[in-house]
Amino acid sequence: MKRMLKTAAVAAVAAIALAGCGSSPSSSPTNVSPTGQIVPRQISWLLSRPADGSVITIMKKLADDYAKDHPGFSLNLITTPDRPSYIQKYETLAAADKLPELFDTDATPFAQQLAKQGKMMDAGKLLKDLGLYDSFRPAALDYQRFDDGSLYMVPMQFELEFFWYNKSLFQKAGVSVPASLDDLPAACTALRKAGITPIALDGQDQWPLERYVSYQPFRAAGPDYVTSLKKAQAKFSDAPGQKAVTWLDALGKAKCFSDGFSSQGYSDAQNAFTSGQAAMYNIGTWELSSLATDKLNPSVRNDIDFFTLPTTAGSVTKANEFVSPSGIGMAVNSKTYDPLVADFLKFALPKYAAQYAATGALAPTTNVQTTIPANATPLYKKALDKATDLGTKQIMPWDTQLDPTSNTRLQQELTLLVQGNTSPADFTSTMDSTIAQNAPKFFK
Amino acid sequence: MLPTRSRLSVLVFLLPPLVVYGAAVLFPILQSLVLSFFSWNGIGDMEFVGLANYVHMLTHDDVFWRSFLNSLGYLAICLVLQLGGALLVASLLLSLRRGRELVKTLYLLPAVISTVAIAFLFERIYSLDPVGLLNQVLSWLGLGALERPWLSDVNTVLAAVSAPEGWRFTGLYMLIIYAALLAVPRELEEAAILDGASRWQLFTKIRFPYIRPVWITTTIMATTYGLRGFDIPYLMTNGGPGQSSELVTTYMYKTAFTSTDYGYASTISVFIVAECLIAVGLIVMLLRRKGEA
Repeated sequence: MKRMLKTAAVAAVAAIALAGCGSSPSSSPTNVSPTGQIVPRQISWLLSRPADGSVITIMKKLADDYAKDHPGFSLNLITTPDRPSYIQKYETLAAADKLPELFDTDATPFAQQLAKQGKMMDAGKLLKDLGLYDSFRPAALDYQRFDDGSLYMVPMQFELEFFWYNKSLFQKAGVSVPASLDDLPAACTALRKAGITPIALDGQDQWPLERYVSYQPFRAAGPDYVTSLKKAQAKFSDAPGQKAVTWLDALGKAKCFSDGFSSQGYSDAQNAFTSGQAAMYNIGTWELSSLATDKLNPSVRNDIDFFTLPTTAGSVTKANEFVSPSGIGMAVNSKTYDPLVADFLKFALPKYAAQYAATGALAPTTNVQTTIPANATPLYKKALDKATDLGTKQIMPWDTQLDPTSNTRLQQELTLLVQGNTSPADFTSTMDSTIAQNAPKFFK
Repeated sequence: MLPTRSRLSVLVFLLPPLVVYGAAVLFPILQSLVLSFFSWNGIGDMEFVGLANYVHMLTHDDVFWRSFLNSLGYLAICLVLQLGGALLVASLLLSLRRGRELVKTLYLLPAVISTVAIAFLFERIYSLDPVGLLNQVLSWLGLGALERPWLSDVNTVLAAVSAPEGWRFTGLYMLIIYAALLAVPRELEEAAILDGASRWQLFTKIRFPYIRPVWITTTIMATTYGLRGFDIPYLMTNGGPGQSSELVTTYMYKTAFTSTDYGYASTISVFIVAECLIAVGLIVMLLRRKGEA
């Protein structure tokens, strides 16, 4: 029996040791032009994008075009649109050192560790080698950068996030567009008095509420606050953090969000706004086809408009600086990077932006013009035009910044704070201790 | 005593299932036990931390203790619904003369519906905006004051995620208990009735003692399933709002696959194994003692 246990223990340790030993990358992350013969085979892209979305449709078409000249080549697209499920899949594959040739990731602390271990190709070098680097919007590239400025992901899209609002409901409640973020709680109170849900919110997915915690600190202290907070070098008890906490507490007390928001999903929130029940909806240009075309419910079509993130008194960031993400980026696995992958990217990436812009979306580059769809309302162009007038700073979504444990706790505590189930003081101390405990593991 | 040749044959036939059991059950448990002494994020170096994960879990982790208490609450609700409901329905079934098969099928139906469908169904039932079935019924009954977003209210969410799990398996346990009740000898019952036993006495003195072995097995099954409950709470609320419906299992899953803290997640999984073994031991001990008394 003892011998059996001993054997099993040795086997367990050996298996763990094997699992723990990541094999070293076979290609240098900076060697973007590998030499050798191009041998066509199937390559895979693990991604988190809608299955019928433009990115997948275009890349599929480009892969088919490439395969015409390279028989035997194919691009296997494995998509998991649900982001939390995707992240679990991608991190598990990373742990097993089984990531495919291409994979999606945000500029998270986890991704930075992968980059530090040399497991991702240097995207900056790659784009420069392809002569595409300068055509990208600086904001699109900056969104993908790690704190040290290094770039390991290629942006495939570009979005702007606005507060969409219903003019008719605002008028009914006697509310005007908030000039300051601090005006929002009062606007919510007035809307509630008029029997209107102030803000439609998808609480189930957590990130939409987490956007709100980033707004006040960005206005009060700029983008550096979260960069320090995530490393436990700044605290929620500091002035910018407290501004966020008290503001969220006020939003909760003013009943800004729909009743039972924490169990409402993405489509619930969108339906509440597009059916004229909710007065505001904070969402990005990826929803332009739902909000600024004739697909929108005719009863609210002429009532919809948007405003950008309001500033505050003493704001250090400008009105044209807000959330402008380039979405989850595409990373290139250095272990499987070979002449074929390099050649396919050389073929596809220069053609991608024009085809993407033709679908009516904002491309991550500036050298193409977005085609406005025939069924668009005037709001469509108005929204796109905002991309030409952006400032140099942008809000990085906090879910891509904090270490995963602190991020999970923040999402949980935010819901409790806004629901009135925890006090601002308790929220602050819980979050500060959570970050102090977990940040050092990720930001050594 | 079997002759040597027969013993060898038994061993030969027992070996494959034992190997499969060892590989599928014992090996992962052992692996978790080893991992629980390490700090490892999946992509970095593994760092031996000794008992630090256990010390942190038992003394510093407020989410763990909250999850543990939630798990006990979840288990209690599931057991009441599954075992209490099953015993009640099975007893009533015995007195039914017609339609037994129909009732049995209807009660068993939820056990064969996919978990995702059940979670989605109950999400809609509990919804406040748009108004779901539960709130609608409360409104019809003039109990509008009780209307609420059941899954967003920290006071109701645990019961709300436990109820679908309880409802789901009531039919299954009902079938097992019903089969056991059918096996109670009629002559024993008739003798008791002739002696003037009431319905309650008939149940407590004749039927229940007779089905005790089946009841023990059913309780063990329901308890271990309840302690391992994961899918419905995870799908419906992901443990929220806050940690109000977080179970030890969902917390372990998040620790492993969201926080990528595989060492600490293994510590929690070792706790789950120990918790299940202790629960089973307690149940067997209590019910056997009662049976002997």
